[in-house]
Amino acid sequence: MSGRRLLVRLALYGLASLFLAGIVHIFVVLTVPGHVRAEAFARLARIGSDRQFHVLPAVAPGAEPLPMLDPEMGHALCWFRLADGPVSLSAAVNSPFWSMALFNGAGEVVYSLNNRTSGSGELAMLVLTTPQLSILRANPPENLDELIVIETDQTEGFVLLRAFIADRPSTEVISSGLKAARCDTLKPDMPASS
Amino acid sequence: MKSAFPLGPETDWQKTSTPDILRPTRMSRLARALALVGTIAVAVAAGLWSAHLALTSEDLFKPIRIGVWGAHPLAGTPEADPYSAAIYARTGRIPLANGEGVAFVASTDSSGELLSPACNYRIAGQTPTARLWTLTSADRDGRLMPTPAGRVSLSSLGLLRASDGSFEVSASRAPRPGNWLPLGTGESLSFILRLYDAPITTGATLIGLAMPEITKVSCP
Repeated sequence: MSGRRLLVRLALYGLASLFLAGIVHIFVVLTVPGHVRAEAFARLARIGSDRQFHVLPAVAPGAEPLPMLDPEMGHALCWFRLADGPVSLSAAVNSPFWSMALFNGAGEVVYSLNNRTSGSGELAMLVLTTPQLSILRANPPENLDELIVIETDQTEGFVLLRAFIADRPSTEVISSGLKAARCDTLKPDMPASS
Repeated sequence: MKSAFPLGPETDWQKTSTPDILRPTRMSRLARALALVGTIAVAVAAGLWSAHLALTSEDLFKPIRIGVWGAHPLAGTPEADPYSAAIYARTGRIPLANGEGVAFVASTDSSGELLSPACNYRIAGQTPTARLWTLTSADRDGRLMPTPAGRVSLSSLGLLRASDGSFEVSASRAPRPGNWLPLGTGESLSFILRLYDAPITTGATLIGLAMPEITKVSCP
């Protein structure tokens, strides 16, 4: 085998392994979210009962409830499963900035808004599935036009409230405001006729 | 080769040898097996290593960059690029949503040198328009580091500013007058600037936006 032929062969093997490496790389990057996300969210899900806002402990070094939260903010979290009925969310926190973000079960943002978006000092949101929405349309609640209605095909998810804590004395006020936020099941009114 | 016929134009082909490049050659079976195994091993190792590198050194993939500050505005949404999605999943972090704000991370100073928590830095300039912003010191993975002062962040509301609206923050372990951002005791350092309710998260242009400069003042 001549030297040149050997070189060509080596180059081909190199090319083959480069292509294979590319495939492995893409495979790993694409499968990481499915594998490790469950772990992170299992911890989150153990936070307490569904359909209730749980105020997360203050974000302090070494005691962060979740990675990459802002230490200047207070946080509250509510899990829900839509199979148990539509979720009605409302919050009003006495803070210069606060926001509400809706995540699906995979931790992806579905919807978000902050206290300036709403105009008034209160945010109200209704999360439901398509069948639940069609049931609701047949017999809409009175304040439906004041609610932000979010239709989703996700079966479960969570809502994260963030509120800016301007100074230490206001920590108490803000965490009680977060705790008072509602994450309820929308009571389906019985059809008037029948 | 001895021919029965005298050599001439009609029999010349017998003498023509196949060119080297066209002649089939085979390696021995063992050599082929080794080459195959080697190729796959190298490929798997290189693939895993490059994926690891891409997912641990976050700086490689930052869709938005302003100076030394980088952000993943789409991370944590279904439209996120695969790298942002994998990085966020791996670290289990909850992203800032578009309606809330955007988090910019810097892990080098403005001259391109890696940040170190032992050094003193000056963070000065302007930020893009935002209703509120906070500046946090953390290690390079975004974990907060304990500081003697008990805080690791400051916000735009409690900030001393110059008359033109610009500000100057001193980041150091030792207390400083003015706007002091305490640094913790750790191996690595990054600064996280979170802009809340900022127009850039809702599609405003990035052109001409200024982010604060990070200048190294001194290093022990």
